Amino acid sequence: MIAMIRCIARCRGIRPLIAAKYSTVSAAQQRALALEKFDQIPQIHPLLLERAEVMKKEFASVESKMSSGDFDQDLTIKFSNLSIILENYAKYTSEMATFQELKEFILEPDQDPELLQDAMEEVETTVPQLLRSINTLQSRLLPPMKYDDKPAILELRPGVGGSEASLFTGDLMQMYINFANFMKWRYTIVSKSEGNAGFLNEVIMSIDDPGSYNILRHESGVHRVQRIPSTESKGRIHTSTAAVVVLPKMSDGTESSLKDDERQFAPGEVRIDTMRAGGKGGQHVNTTDSAVRLVHIPTGVTVQQQDERSQPKNKAKAFSILRARLAALERDKEFNEQRKMRTDQVTTTDRSDKIRTYNYPQNRVTDHRCGFSLHDLTGCMAGSRLMDVIEKVEEHEFESRLQDLIADSKAAAAAAAAASAVEVATTTD
Amino acid sequence: MPRISPSLARKAIAKSSLLPRLLRANRTLEAAEQELRWIQQELPQQQWKNAVLRRSRLEPLQYILKSQPFGPLDIICRSGVLIPRWETEEWTYKVANALAKLGKEKQLNIVDACTGTGCIPLLLTHELYEQEGIPVDVVAFDVSDEAFKLASENLNEYSNIYKSGKYITIKQADLFSNDLVKELGVRKESDLVTSNPPYIPHEDYISSVSCNGTSRSVRIYEPSLALIGENEFYGALLEQLVIPTNSKGFIFELGYTYQANYVRDKLRNMESWKIGTSMDGAGRIRCVVGWQKGSEMEILEEVCDEVLD
Repeated sequence: MIAMIRCIARCRGIRPLIAAKYSTVSAAQQRALALEKFDQIPQIHPLLLERAEVMKKEFASVESKMSSGDFDQDLTIKFSNLSIILENYAKYTSEMATFQELKEFILEPDQDPELLQDAMEEVETTVPQLLRSINTLQSRLLPPMKYDDKPAILELRPGVGGSEASLFTGDLMQMYINFANFMKWRYTIVSKSEGNAGFLNEVIMSIDDPGSYNILRHESGVHRVQRIPSTESKGRIHTSTAAVVVLPKMSDGTESSLKDDERQFAPGEVRIDTMRAGGKGGQHVNTTDSAVRLVHIPTGVTVQQQDERSQPKNKAKAFSILRARLAALERDKEFNEQRKMRTDQVTTTDRSDKIRTYNYPQNRVTDHRCGFSLHDLTGCMAGSRLMDVIEKVEEHEFESRLQDLIADSKAAAAAAAAASAVEVATTTD
Repeated sequence: MPRISPSLARKAIAKSSLLPRLLRANRTLEAAEQELRWIQQELPQQQWKNAVLRRSRLEPLQYILKSQPFGPLDIICRSGVLIPRWETEEWTYKVANALAKLGKEKQLNIVDACTGTGCIPLLLTHELYEQEGIPVDVVAFDVSDEAFKLASENLNEYSNIYKSGKYITIKQADLFSNDLVKELGVRKESDLVTSNPPYIPHEDYISSVSCNGTSRSVRIYEPSLALIGENEFYGALLEQLVIPTNSKGFIFELGYTYQANYVRDKLRNMESWKIGTSMDGAGRIRCVVGWQKGSEMEILEEVCDEVLD
């Protein structure tokens, strides 16, 4: 069909008369075609548009605040965030307006065929543009996830599969290092521990760029690998796993951030254990042991750090990780509560589920949440193609969040209706 | 000391040929690996073997690496001077946090006796002046020639980074000297006297850790001058410094409850003093603290876990 229109359009340039003749013949057909195209344009949910209007008002107030000299970092960040969204919104409204005009024009009966042709051509170019701006606007309009502007802490641990799982954990660490380099993010290895025979037990990395959490949080979960391990002598394919936990980084984990971190907790909320040998301590012994263990009593979350020679440094790192873990817990709780409101057809995103498979023999990476397969495992492990996978997961998450939002508002509306019905019933009694 | 089992030694040698020797000083593989990592991080490769050899003879790692972190500071360490302990670091922080609440208006005059590496005055100045902007004037002294030199070196290093180094003076003086106050040149009024004097009685110095004594590494390598001491030091600190300089408060590190009681008894007939004790992170008695009632040093009560009567 599209090819036909294109063909007609080309003909018009060379032999306008014939083209005109053709077009008059198929005018009805063309209309039908155009209508089909119009149907492709998705409606932005009214809830989201409402949000955009609210943001417009907010933007005005922020702007007036800024012009009156009230100037701080939070405000500027807010300002730039809002202005990006509103820019998208303005683009969307203007494109939508031209599109509406076109639509009305085409649907009008008894149009001049030449003009109709032009209009059809314009539809060709506007529709993809409009689709794109609708997509970007929608993703921006969804309420932001908590901590999405934070840097990230990544914790990698081997799962089932013994030494092969450890090797894969090392490969994953390398993948994230490559990815950080590819994204031009600064990163540091906070701690790395090896078990017997030099196999990796745990790696904690910190990615220090703000906003990296929002991208990397999709990496949380169990990663599965299928390959012939280097430790395998008979050439059998093994399946093993590694667990990745991504946390929002709440503080720098340096001595200067320590005081602030400690202030976040009530006295007695965190028990600080230093692992010291027995005896009298003080001048009697000159230990080098500087390990610190923190136990968050209300939740039982435990963090241990020992890599630094300085005890306060270990303490600072431990506090930073503790805060990140607690923040992640809180975020998950909130997220689950939001999801719980919608009891029907919830797809679980349980931590214990495997989220991704790395199949070496087939050179394939499959993400099980969105069902997307990337047939370039080497590119993914080298960091350059990982973003492709993450983008697909993001899209998938966006879809489900949008569904949640719509379902929530429907439920709220239904509840309100029910409440008013009850009211009516009681008054009639 | 338990023997290192052959299986542990085999495990160690599988990881690195340098590890088995470190086991002699560490006993567990994890601790040995940790020390090896630090050695490899801080020393050039040609010194690793020698460092491991020295450590296997129980020489403190701090002497081999020539430093010990003390708060955010790196304190130079050298044979002949006591290595700063984490307990000292801990209480120094507590004191600094308490004093930080006094505000920037008034200058704090502090005297530190038996300063050793100079770690206490350096950390206090860093926390009070660099972090909080509280003006300080600190005089620190030690009787030992080596300690005096090392403390001066540490002060020099510190002054290269922080301007507040000029508020610290290091002197060589004997706590038991007849005109100590004159030798130090301190003003009549001081706010705080701090000290980590030698406090290990001789019988504990010669016994092993399992009998509440000292570890072999301490006995072999650290100066006994900085370790062996009894109540006479606390008596001298009070009579030679606290009372003559009319100090409003003091904090002394200690290792035994009877030492705190001795300090309390000394000041018993002086109505204006309040005495408390403070514990370390491992729950052992670590400091005796005193302050004059009604003075701003009452803030030191925050440092205490128990106030004696």
